[in-house]
Amino acid sequence: MAGEEGTLIMCHSIDAWNEHLQKANESKKLIVVDFTASWCGPCRFITPILADLAKKMPHVIFLKVDVDELKSVAEDWAVEAMPTFVFLKEGKIVDKVVGAKKDELQLTIEKHLK
Amino acid sequence: MAVSGFEGFEKRLELHFSGDDPALTGSMGLRRLDFSLLEQVLHVVQCSVVSAVANQYFDAYVLSESSLFIYPTKIIIKTCGTTQLLKSICPLIHLAENLNHSIISCKYTRGNFIFPLSQPFPHTSFSEEVSFLEDNLPKKLANRKATVMNSSKSHAWHVFTASVSGSGVSAESKAAAYAYTVEVCMTDLDRVLARRFFGGNGKLMTEITGISNINPKALICDFGFDPCGYSMNGIDGDRYSTIHVTPEDGYSYASFECVGSVFDDDDDLVRMLRKVVKIFRPAKMSVATSTSRANDVSTRVNNAMKMVGMKCRSFNADDFPAAGNVVFQTFTAARR
Repeated sequence: MAGEEGTLIMCHSIDAWNEHLQKANESKKLIVVDFTASWCGPCRFITPILADLAKKMPHVIFLKVDVDELKSVAEDWAVEAMPTFVFLKEGKIVDKVVGAKKDELQLTIEKHLK
Repeated sequence: MAVSGFEGFEKRLELHFSGDDPALTGSMGLRRLDFSLLEQVLHVVQCSVVSAVANQYFDAYVLSESSLFIYPTKIIIKTCGTTQLLKSICPLIHLAENLNHSIISCKYTRGNFIFPLSQPFPHTSFSEEVSFLEDNLPKKLANRKATVMNSSKSHAWHVFTASVSGSGVSAESKAAAYAYTVEVCMTDLDRVLARRFFGGNGKLMTEITGISNINPKALICDFGFDPCGYSMNGIDGDRYSTIHVTPEDGYSYASFECVGSVFDDDDDLVRMLRKVVKIFRPAKMSVATSTSRANDVSTRVNNAMKMVGMKCRSFNADDFPAAGNVVFQTFTAARR
């Protein structure tokens, strides 16, 4: 498919989250989970940067989780600062970036795509 | 000394607003300010966000020219270079009003510019800055004071404070009774140590310089500028720390700022300051400590300096309506 774009999915419920996570794991692609919140300034800052990365990286699946909507998930994953990006490969956590850090985000994705 | 170069010395503004104690109400207060509106204010000041992080207590932004911290009822903005920081006052007061938070105190501080002639309006002189503040702060902030401490020397400290008279203490101010702020300015950095701040890799700079060890518990948001320069914010609970470096020879500068509590272990501040001096080995430095009530923070500072070969050259102390007690000390390296 020419000009294939990446995937950025917003999960609004636990069911949606479980469904998307399972599908993503099955695809064997690198998954980046973005723990975010609508009121969080730093999260708002990284939003366009993340959208841009998602467009350019069809081999990565980006899942966005609002910590207010999915409180239990945020707790399970021990999210303390935001935004927090958790990297998953084949169902396992392989890395984490805490903070709206454009360069570190890009480098970490590239590292796990090798 | 270079004829002109990047101005490392920052201008710092701290604004306190009315509002309920966030610890009781869980209210986000000023953190609810829309990010796009914040960006507009930063645009007026000629800077932008390069990195950011938020925790339970506050939002911390690394800017193209220093830092911005937003708490529910307090905003701290520190910018260097030729930014027109004071132009942010009116828009910030206005945005806060829209969220039903009114300003109750303002504190503006800075050292001496290395290149004062390069500064734009209203920063061409302290009297111009004071005029601007007088004109742009609401009249109800009637308790005002402007002073230059250690004025005859290269490291001086300019302080302007304004607050409402009597009551109207913000939630933040109550906790602040036991808190202190430390602002460190360092010049003539060791050349070899300063070279580590070239190359644009902020994460690497944080590691190899030992900045990550100053407070190992802090979450660090760093940024390395191209071809040189470095900024970082550290967040640890409700406390921030921040470092900014201009490493070029001829006008090298580094700043370190942190907050603490009089209930902290005495050694904490001493350990941090010693590490900071060892990272930069400046020929000259100044330390300003602000506390609501007089305590021995400045003594801890002095002790720390002695341990790393820095000799105290001056001591000034003064009281300010909004900032409490400010002690300003300067130090020089005993041997180079």
